[in-house]
Amino acid sequence: MIGRIPRGGAAGCAAAVALLAAAPVVLDLTPYSHNLLTLAFLMIAGALAWNWMGGYVGQVSFGHAIMFGIGGFVSARLVLSGALPAPLAWIAGGLVGGVAALGAHPMLRLRGPYFSIATIGVGEAARLIFTYWESFTGGSSGLSLPIDPILKYQLYWWSLWLAAGVAAASWLMRRSTLGLQLLAIKSDVEAAADVGVSATFYQDLVFCLSGAVVGLTGALYASYFAYIEPADLFGFDRSIGFVLMAVIGGLGTPFGPILGAVVFVLLRQSLLATYPQLYLGLYGGLLIVIILFEPLGLTGLGLRTARLVRRLRASRSAARAA
Amino acid sequence: MARFIDLVFRAILLAGLYATMAYGLGLIYGVLRVVNLAHGGILMAGAYLGWILFDTWHIDPYLSIPIVLAASFLFGAALYRVLVVHLPRGAAGGPASLLLLFGVWLVLRNAAYWLFTGDDRTIRTAYSTRAILVAGSYLEVSRLAVLAIAVLVPIVLHVLLRRTYLGMAIRAVAQNPDSCAVVGIDVGRIYTITFGLGTALAGLAGLLWATIFSFNPSSGGSELLKSFVVVVLGGLGSTFGVAIAALIVAAAEVFAILVLPSYLTSAVGFVLLVLVLVLRPGGLFGQRVLG
Repeated sequence: MIGRIPRGGAAGCAAAVALLAAAPVVLDLTPYSHNLLTLAFLMIAGALAWNWMGGYVGQVSFGHAIMFGIGGFVSARLVLSGALPAPLAWIAGGLVGGVAALGAHPMLRLRGPYFSIATIGVGEAARLIFTYWESFTGGSSGLSLPIDPILKYQLYWWSLWLAAGVAAASWLMRRSTLGLQLLAIKSDVEAAADVGVSATFYQDLVFCLSGAVVGLTGALYASYFAYIEPADLFGFDRSIGFVLMAVIGGLGTPFGPILGAVVFVLLRQSLLATYPQLYLGLYGGLLIVIILFEPLGLTGLGLRTARLVRRLRASRSAARAA
Repeated sequence: MARFIDLVFRAILLAGLYATMAYGLGLIYGVLRVVNLAHGGILMAGAYLGWILFDTWHIDPYLSIPIVLAASFLFGAALYRVLVVHLPRGAAGGPASLLLLFGVWLVLRNAAYWLFTGDDRTIRTAYSTRAILVAGSYLEVSRLAVLAIAVLVPIVLHVLLRRTYLGMAIRAVAQNPDSCAVVGIDVGRIYTITFGLGTALAGLAGLLWATIFSFNPSSGGSELLKSFVVVVLGGLGSTFGVAIAALIVAAAEVFAILVLPSYLTSAVGFVLLVLVLVLRPGGLFGQRVLG
């Protein structure tokens, strides 16, 4: 049910991406909407990658900000030192993010709440360490990157390609044998091991991939905003953001996190302007409502509406036939 | 040497606070198999309740203990009845209960921001700064009072769980809820009471916390983690185990001052958490059933 996509869905997705790619040229977007869309693309990529671990494998991580921050700061340092051009520095940031995620190996045999709480601990420890590692992160005053208006403009498309690529990967992962293996691990680690699916190997693999994508996202984010500080990139709010986007959109669904990220970015932007301190509480309330009434989030709501519409239509045509 | 003794006292006092926090989390996890991620938020709420009672009604924080206990008990019972009861529990429940209670924490945190702003608060009584001289180091009265209460809590809890019908029912439900239903124990009621007791202990810990340290709406996160590490390390089996675990965690934090730069000492608790979870997930004394 979840992995299937309506006929013509692939064409629809491609058309949506093409439209978004043409938007800045055709529509002459204001800098504000240009900004918002770029941020949304980046958050989509991050939320989808978080969902591989949190949704597909069922290991809820409250520590993805670590990879986001590492990717951001590594690429920023590489750009600042002039060693690599921006796109290569981003890739390097993503690679280091993936390698850093492998460091979670000993924690991955923990399951459920044990894993989640351990990630809170690691995330907070990392935030402290990177905040005080001034020679690398610039400490609490952060790092400023050279401002390049052309690159900033182009980053709209870079972010779009990243989001589209990660979405395609999410779908393929869900449909592949790998997706089934992850589902097996999520349902029952021991039963999965009995049929030859090693939880250790696949969790390492997925966490590494997820970390690499989140690292890459962090690297693009750093280049786009041209100013980064550890409190933002490594912050607990950043980690929570990935969780919320995926859960709002639909935990474990291949495309749900896209919806979640869009809603999250829009809500955050409007609430930050009006009620800066209240937006987290709203997300908390949303989380409670979703878990209680619609565990698949917006995706579940959409599926339910579609079913309802279909049933109504069927009963109407039945009435007409009679 | 005087500094060493000072640090030992400091560790013991801190351990008392950590143990009180951990009993609340451990009780709920032991019986319902739910990790109360809202634990930190309830701690923070308990601290604010004590602060309001002291600041507006001038009720001494130690006299407001019954009020805070009752209020957080009711809050916890309501939380269970309204939200948690609808969730699948245990491994089969997946991340649902975790995410739900995390949502509760976010709401509590924001409610506190809204009501009290983000400023740091403390409960400062007339005797807050008073200290007595013991073995060459000064001990603050408020810390000693916290320690006394922290010693009293496990004793009361032990008597409750061991010597009363309610306690027996709680322990029985922790072992096997289905059999309990068969012999006529109202399992739902026991769950409600247990969740209430767990949050009451969290609220109490928050109040005690507020008499010694400052707090703000985002407080509670690291307290949740420390409670969890104490519960895991001490095992759910024994009140004694939790006390020892609290002492280990507190001592590690306090003595880290001697070897680490001050800004890194707060990372010690987090590192300890991960080490404990990875190396001794079964606890120091093995996991036993509650009681």
